[in-house]
Amino acid sequence: MKTITFFFALFIAGTSWASDDKYYEQMAKQINAVYTAKSMEEYQSAVNALDRIAAAEKTKWEPYYYSAFGNIMKMNLEQEAVKKDSYLDLALAAIEKGRAIAPAESELVALEGFVHMMRVTVDPASRGQQYSGLAMQTFGKALGMNPNNPRALMLMSQMQFGTARFFNQAPTEACESAKSALALFESVPPTENKLAPVWGKQMAQSLVKNCN
Amino acid sequence: MFMKAIILFFQIIFTTAAFSQTRIEGKVQDETGAPIIGANIFIKDSYDGTSSSADGSFSFITDEKGTHILLATFVGYKPIEQQVELSGQPIKLIILLKEEINQLDGVVISAGSFTAGEEKRRTILKAVDIATTAGATADIAGALNTLPGTQKVGESGRLFVRGGDGSETRTFIDGMVVLDAYGPSAPNTPSRGRFLPFMFKGTSFSTGGYSAEYGQALSSALVLNSKDIAEMNQTDIGIISVGADVAHTQAWQRSSLSAKVGYTDLRPYFGLINQEIDWITPPVSFESSGAYRQKVGKDGIMKFYGNFNSTSFSQNIHAIENPSDKFQYDLTNRYGYGNGSYQQSLNYNWSVRGGVSWSYNKNEVMLAGKPLEDLEKGIHAKLVFENTLSDQIEIRFGGERIDRFYSAAQFNETANEMESVSFTEPLTVAFAEAEYFASNHFVVKAGARIEHNGLNSQTGVDPRLSLAYKPGKRGQFSLAYGTFRQSAQNQYTRVNTQVSSERADHLILNYQIVTDRKTFRVETYYKKYADLVKFENGNTNRLTNSGSGYAKGVELFWRDNETLRNVDYWVSYSFLDTERDYLYYPTSAVPTFASRHNFSVVYKHFVKEIKSQLGFTYSYSSGRTYFNPNKTTSEFLSDKTPSYQDLSANIAYLPKNNLIIYASCTNLLAGCSAFSFSGCVYHHFKK
Repeated sequence: MKTITFFFALFIAGTSWASDDKYYEQMAKQINAVYTAKSMEEYQSAVNALDRIAAAEKTKWEPYYYSAFGNIMKMNLEQEAVKKDSYLDLALAAIEKGRAIAPAESELVALEGFVHMMRVTVDPASRGQQYSGLAMQTFGKALGMNPNNPRALMLMSQMQFGTARFFNQAPTEACESAKSALALFESVPPTENKLAPVWGKQMAQSLVKNCN
Repeated sequence: MFMKAIILFFQIIFTTAAFSQTRIEGKVQDETGAPIIGANIFIKDSYDGTSSSADGSFSFITDEKGTHILLATFVGYKPIEQQVELSGQPIKLIILLKEEINQLDGVVISAGSFTAGEEKRRTILKAVDIATTAGATADIAGALNTLPGTQKVGESGRLFVRGGDGSETRTFIDGMVVLDAYGPSAPNTPSRGRFLPFMFKGTSFSTGGYSAEYGQALSSALVLNSKDIAEMNQTDIGIISVGADVAHTQAWQRSSLSAKVGYTDLRPYFGLINQEIDWITPPVSFESSGAYRQKVGKDGIMKFYGNFNSTSFSQNIHAIENPSDKFQYDLTNRYGYGNGSYQQSLNYNWSVRGGVSWSYNKNEVMLAGKPLEDLEKGIHAKLVFENTLSDQIEIRFGGERIDRFYSAAQFNETANEMESVSFTEPLTVAFAEAEYFASNHFVVKAGARIEHNGLNSQTGVDPRLSLAYKPGKRGQFSLAYGTFRQSAQNQYTRVNTQVSSERADHLILNYQIVTDRKTFRVETYYKKYADLVKFENGNTNRLTNSGSGYAKGVELFWRDNETLRNVDYWVSYSFLDTERDYLYYPTSAVPTFASRHNFSVVYKHFVKEIKSQLGFTYSYSSGRTYFNPNKTTSEFLSDKTPSYQDLSANIAYLPKNNLIIYASCTNLLAGCSAFSFSGCVYHHFKK
């Protein structure tokens, strides 16, 4: 009898682990899907799955993060300006939900900056001044929360490249940021959060290539 | 034995588990039966679900058991919930999703209205367009004067809309009325709006048929919505050829404060360019403005704004008949405007907004050594409730009160003292409006405004109606009808406080087709004026409301930001047929501020090589009537001035980040009669 009670106790504990395992397993699968998606449909299917996980879990910021990331990527494949904005709106809404759960998470703030940066691309002439300033300020805020966030630095470098190119200046500042971002990508050890974002190293590498 | 039992137990558990898996499959469609691709279909609070495929079909297996809720969501559509019994029996479903109403690309009422801002919608103008239109020199009225429906009246600088005069356009900031929205100007020189375009996130310029929320404007409402809480700290330093200004914005988590001070001294400018104005002292002005925004609770927002200005100048005015005959005209203007507004949702579907505004405008004039004074003060208070009954029906109602005091004084030589006349006009108003979105293709808005004027003890009811129909994805038709009233201008009310309000009826029909980068719009209208102030037998002290008039016309607008690389241009044409019989007119005639044809082209070209945006604005107005004292009554206002043409150019040069240099020149055809140059340094402080 004792054995059975013990066995059941183990079984119950196992299910709760199993639920965490299920979260990690499902998240890992969908994160991979977002990273490797090529078409609108693939992104949509991954974003939908992440939205389902976010709605079921209620206390995890990661599904919101990757859902937002997927929407930003989708925006890149869209032609029509109104729709581009609607994807960025969805991304921003997901980021806000994530920030309500994890207000101190620098990655969510960096991603918010990414949304502002993409707003510029929809209509650079009328949005450039407002949103590029806002994007830079948001990347600065993300770095303030975590100076070792390589994605915040890499995205900031991208903005600096854009500015330098526009004004026909040498991209000195941009290159410095890109190099420090790449150094961070290579040196900062992975956090204990297995689901933490890892994207951006390739972008940093290609930015650094522009510097020689 | 014991082990065996356990294995059996587990076998039972697992087999039941296997048996209790339920397959859910089906199709997601919209109301027309077309498949919806990429919809999210899932069991609420579980991971189990899938996305619909290219033909709208879906299929997934869930381990959940018992009664659950199945959710289907897709962007732009209302989510649907449905109860399902998960028992292992496969479930087949056809899910119908309804489109959300009032979407970004859904139908909107467009008759008589131009909106700039709300950048995610497809709007005809962007907020930045106002600042970068050549000839407008960051003046809101100047930029709007390139749109159809306006007539160029160069010597005024105000907005003259569809046969109406400049006083028939009323400015509102955050819903609150602004009295004396234009700066002072010497006779026959254009005045500038008092408010800078950069303060506003949205501008809605209505050339007729506007909402019941706005009144006291016969022709047009210019509704400016100020920016929300600033998101970043910023300092702007502007150095212009004739002055300087400094502005700073400080942003906090839940509030922001902006302040600006500016000094303009036109003395060096008039020294440089002979402007055919005999200045003794060109205008010198000092201006300060400030804005404070504060979030309250979850979604409440409080806004305060204030603007103070003091301007003075002195010039010689020459009589037309005998130019050597001149007299001195000195003016000092003091102006103050303040407004506070508050907005808050009460619950899921009710929200309330309200505000108070205060205007003060005082002119002190010395005309040939004799003092003249006029003063207008006003307080406006307003409260509006809004209810979203559903996503298809919105209602809005509220009340407002405007108390306006006006006094004018002049020197009486026989009594050797200042004598003055004054009046106070209290207006009490209630309005209500309902908007019904039948679908994303059809919307109708109906409302009325009831206004009681405490000065002449009259009450009037003004109905308003507008609707829009969007048959396809791009083009839409819109219609607007309404009656509008406005108190007689101060100089008449002060003579006779019992004079009635003037009235106008508008009927407008519009078709427009808007894509991301191109806009075509055509509009036609009929406007009927009634109860206009008229002098009995030409006697300016005997006023009646027997004046009347009409205006009708057709207007075209085309904007293209796509065909030519880095080029954005728009073309406007307005045809106006108007006559009125009012004031001193012996008969019905075309008023002196109306021109039959108005045409303008705005061209902006970004040249990357020189890091500059070049802008040109060409305007043409056909001749306007003028009074010729040598003509008979039947030939009243039958003479016409030559047509008016203007070509303005501007350049915005961005040599490096955080520095913009503007130069602009108006009236190039006549050899640059007005020229301005300004530099602007702005700096973002990183947090």
